Amino acid sequence: MSEPRQPRAAFAPWDRRELPGIFGVEETARRVGNYKWIEMRLFEALGGWVATVPELDVKLVLGRHCYHHAWHSELWDKRLPELREMKTDRLTLPPNDEMIAFVDALREPEAPELTIEKLVGVYRVLLPHKIAAYTYHQNGSSRITDAPTIRSFGFILQDELEDWREGEMLLQSLIETPDEVERAANRQRELEKLIVAAGGIAGPGTIGGETGVPAPEGVAVG
Amino acid sequence: MKKILPPEELARDARFVRVNIQDTIADPRQAKVSERNTGSAKLEPDRPAAADRARQLMHGIFMGEVQALEGAGRTTFDFTDEEVPFQLKLDMARQSWDESRHCEISVKLAEHMGTEIGEFAEATFLYEAACAPDALLRLTGVNRALEGLAIDVFNTMKLFGDHSGDPVLAACEDWMLADEVTHVKMGSDWLRRLTENDPERRELALEFQRTVDKLFSLGGFRGETDDNPIQLARRFRELAGFSTEEIDELSEVTAEAQAEAEAAAGVNKS
Repeated sequence: MSEPRQPRAAFAPWDRRELPGIFGVEETARRVGNYKWIEMRLFEALGGWVATVPELDVKLVLGRHCYHHAWHSELWDKRLPELREMKTDRLTLPPNDEMIAFVDALREPEAPELTIEKLVGVYRVLLPHKIAAYTYHQNGSSRITDAPTIRSFGFILQDELEDWREGEMLLQSLIETPDEVERAANRQRELEKLIVAAGGIAGPGTIGGETGVPAPEGVAVG
Repeated sequence: MKKILPPEELARDARFVRVNIQDTIADPRQAKVSERNTGSAKLEPDRPAAADRARQLMHGIFMGEVQALEGAGRTTFDFTDEEVPFQLKLDMARQSWDESRHCEISVKLAEHMGTEIGEFAEATFLYEAACAPDALLRLTGVNRALEGLAIDVFNTMKLFGDHSGDPVLAACEDWMLADEVTHVKMGSDWLRRLTENDPERRELALEFQRTVDKLFSLGGFRGETDDNPIQLARRFRELAGFSTEEIDELSEVTAEAQAEAEAAAGVNKS
């Protein structure tokens, strides 16, 4: 039996968490504000489209996914005050005008025969970009200092990956002809150009590269 | 995508058949139907054609859920961040998910009860209440009035399941009933919060609710007597934020609607 008063290390031998992450508090808050903004615009679009799609299975899935993204926006909204932004609306913003252009184009299809265009925008363009952005941020953050954000990423990424798979399966079940393949590819190309112009959901540097934000001085611990 | 999608643009596949509710009410055969003496109108297993009526009601529930899903979804989209609080949008998104599940449950129950999508026609009057340009009117007209009706319908259907020995029906209806109480409570809470300092706006919203309540009492469809197929579920309404006075008032509204319908049909109750 171990001696309870014997000193032990603060970290168990298998605990490899490190300090620091690549983002400071301010940059994290800015990104979280961008994340909340895109989650809001997405859940609104999914909710709005429910009434415009005739395919019953798609209609019901959009209703479900609408809530998933609303919940993500709520998680980000709750995180912002913990990152010193008490007026959360102040950071609930798109990263740039190009992102607004992307969202406007994403949400533009309305007619009932445009289900493929609606789904491609969400499941072949936006969700893959969100998954990439969240994964980058999660992997670049310290699991000690920014554990609350990372915990949210865990829940959100689970939804994103499952929703992406479900949306992709719906698309594969809808795309049956060469013309429909063309439609899907054209739509993806058009929207991909717009989101690339925005630099991703958090602007340039969404998944690294030129961020304009210097990384904190490294203190390797672990 | 435009704001406020009109009811005629609701997207449906080829199975669905749409009717105008006014045409149904004005159908001269309705008077003949009212004249039939079939005993208590309550949905009970020993009532004539109870199984057919239950199937028809189940299909009606399904259509109501589809439109409730569409209405909640539209409310997340139709208003800007400046027009409605963030939390209200979150509630509507949550309701979208709930209604989506209710559609799934209703499809499975419809199959379980021996009907299928498209066997009965669809009227879009539920969704029409969800097209109000003011979000508060949607919350009173849809969440308090129509989701309130859903409480009454699900409770009636649950009792039908209990009385007819169908535990699947009873259990599923009970789950949906729990969600509907939540939705009605959302409407009650938002009505209070959004009109805290604006009694005039509150009265306007409640007036809209009364209008919808009367429409949805459908000439005796809902009430508290044996003449009403759907029974007013007082206990669950209280849980959802209705006061006793409000429930009494609704009971009066339903009685008025029934009396008007009987007068219009020339029914002699003596």
